[in-house]
Amino acid sequence: MTQWDDSQTEHVSDDITDESNALPARYFTEPDVFEMEKEKVFGRYWVYAGHANAIKEPGQYFTRDVGNRKLIIVRGHDGRPKAFDNVCAHRGSKMVEDTPMTDPGDASRIQCPYHLWTYDLDGTLRSTPRSFEEASLNPDLEDEDVRELDPEENALNAVNVDTIGPFIFVNLSDDPMPLEEQAGEMKDRLEALPLGEYEHACRIVSEVECNWKVFASNYSECDHCQSNHQDWIEGIQLDESELEVNDYHWVLHYTHEEDVDDELRIHDEHEAQFHYLWPNFTVNMYGTADGYGTYVIDPIDTDRFQLIADYYFEDADLSDEEEEFVRTSRQLQEEDFELVERQWEGLKTGALAQAQLGPNEHTVHRFHRLAQEAYNS
Amino acid sequence: MSTQEKASYVAVCPECDERKQTETPNEVVEFYRRHHRVTGHDVDLERARPDLDEDVTGDDLKSVVRHLLEQYPNGVPIGVIVAVMNERGLSIGETLDEIHEIRMGGGLYEPRDDHLGAF
Repeated sequence: MTQWDDSQTEHVSDDITDESNALPARYFTEPDVFEMEKEKVFGRYWVYAGHANAIKEPGQYFTRDVGNRKLIIVRGHDGRPKAFDNVCAHRGSKMVEDTPMTDPGDASRIQCPYHLWTYDLDGTLRSTPRSFEEASLNPDLEDEDVRELDPEENALNAVNVDTIGPFIFVNLSDDPMPLEEQAGEMKDRLEALPLGEYEHACRIVSEVECNWKVFASNYSECDHCQSNHQDWIEGIQLDESELEVNDYHWVLHYTHEEDVDDELRIHDEHEAQFHYLWPNFTVNMYGTADGYGTYVIDPIDTDRFQLIADYYFEDADLSDEEEEFVRTSRQLQEEDFELVERQWEGLKTGALAQAQLGPNEHTVHRFHRLAQEAYNS
Repeated sequence: MSTQEKASYVAVCPECDERKQTETPNEVVEFYRRHHRVTGHDVDLERARPDLDEDVTGDDLKSVVRHLLEQYPNGVPIGVIVAVMNERGLSIGETLDEIHEIRMGGGLYEPRDDHLGAF
């Protein structure tokens, strides 16, 4: 009779051939870990914020929540994207309403509705109402004694922002590693493609009942494809495919059975390319339509995440081929949602303290190693 | 019978074809807020079976809240209000907008989070 020994778990092993090669289950299931991730994962690494084409003109902006932080991403007068906490420097009010990238706002300045402190697009304090320059309601203070507000010292809290092609990333850390270090070769590869020439056509957001890392792990391997993505795998030569691992990103190269018309692909290779950038961003190029998709695997809490799926094509109106691209993507998502929710039901029971990864789940191993490193930092 | 067929509340985003099923009425509202925050989409209630003692009379939102206060004297869950207003043709977003408008005029108050009382 076999009985699992769950008395102790080990850190994710360096070597994939070791038994303790997966992240212990408690890192998926315990609420304290999610709180830790807000600081040690989403508070330290570059996180995807949105697409530059959503804010082409100065003053256009959208909002994005990362961990507990609420951010504004705005195109500055200098043409570059900026990111700030969506929090007024006066008394901490949230300033602009939640504004999705798909329906961006437009403002020549950022104004807090509470006391009308107004900021330039570079974050500096531009103006305040007269009540902050005069002390007419305060019998103990003369107007000339009122402290003048320095525009820089009272500016919005700037958040690090950088881009890979049209993809805007933010980093909440005070002293982050460069984005190009985190992205590695992915930056050069994506910037070699004309991704910025494509327009946002469709956003589909799904809530899934499992920890975000369960889905991220599932996305990163294809051992489950043969039995669970039967329609899609028919067109793929899995034995000719390769899962490439780099420091903070991995690329799933899935070779097509038959060559696809060159015009239906962005990249040169006859394959689908799925890029995963730690911690929670993917770029999906199926190689069967002239367009691409992105995923953000955004945790809601320990038990749930939102999959924010965006699709980009030459034109915002979908052609028949593009509809098919989205439908294929949706089918894969639904098939995966069923799998990860099933896995989650099992993991939550606590029966398995530490999973084991197979030799072709080396991408998942990398993901788990990065999580472990972040937790231990 | 599937889980979905059993659920008292089923909310759907027609654009994403995303469904949320729950027994907790306020979770429908939380789902709407999370979804709307990143999509701007409104969400429909495909099914709402609030656990009500009696039929709710009145068409306008404020009188609906007044009626429901008899069953929920410490504040009516906002999801129950959404469910009743759904029968009167309002989407979740439309009901929340109307609640906001009436609250800003002083007609509704919030004795606890996401529960409403009416003057």
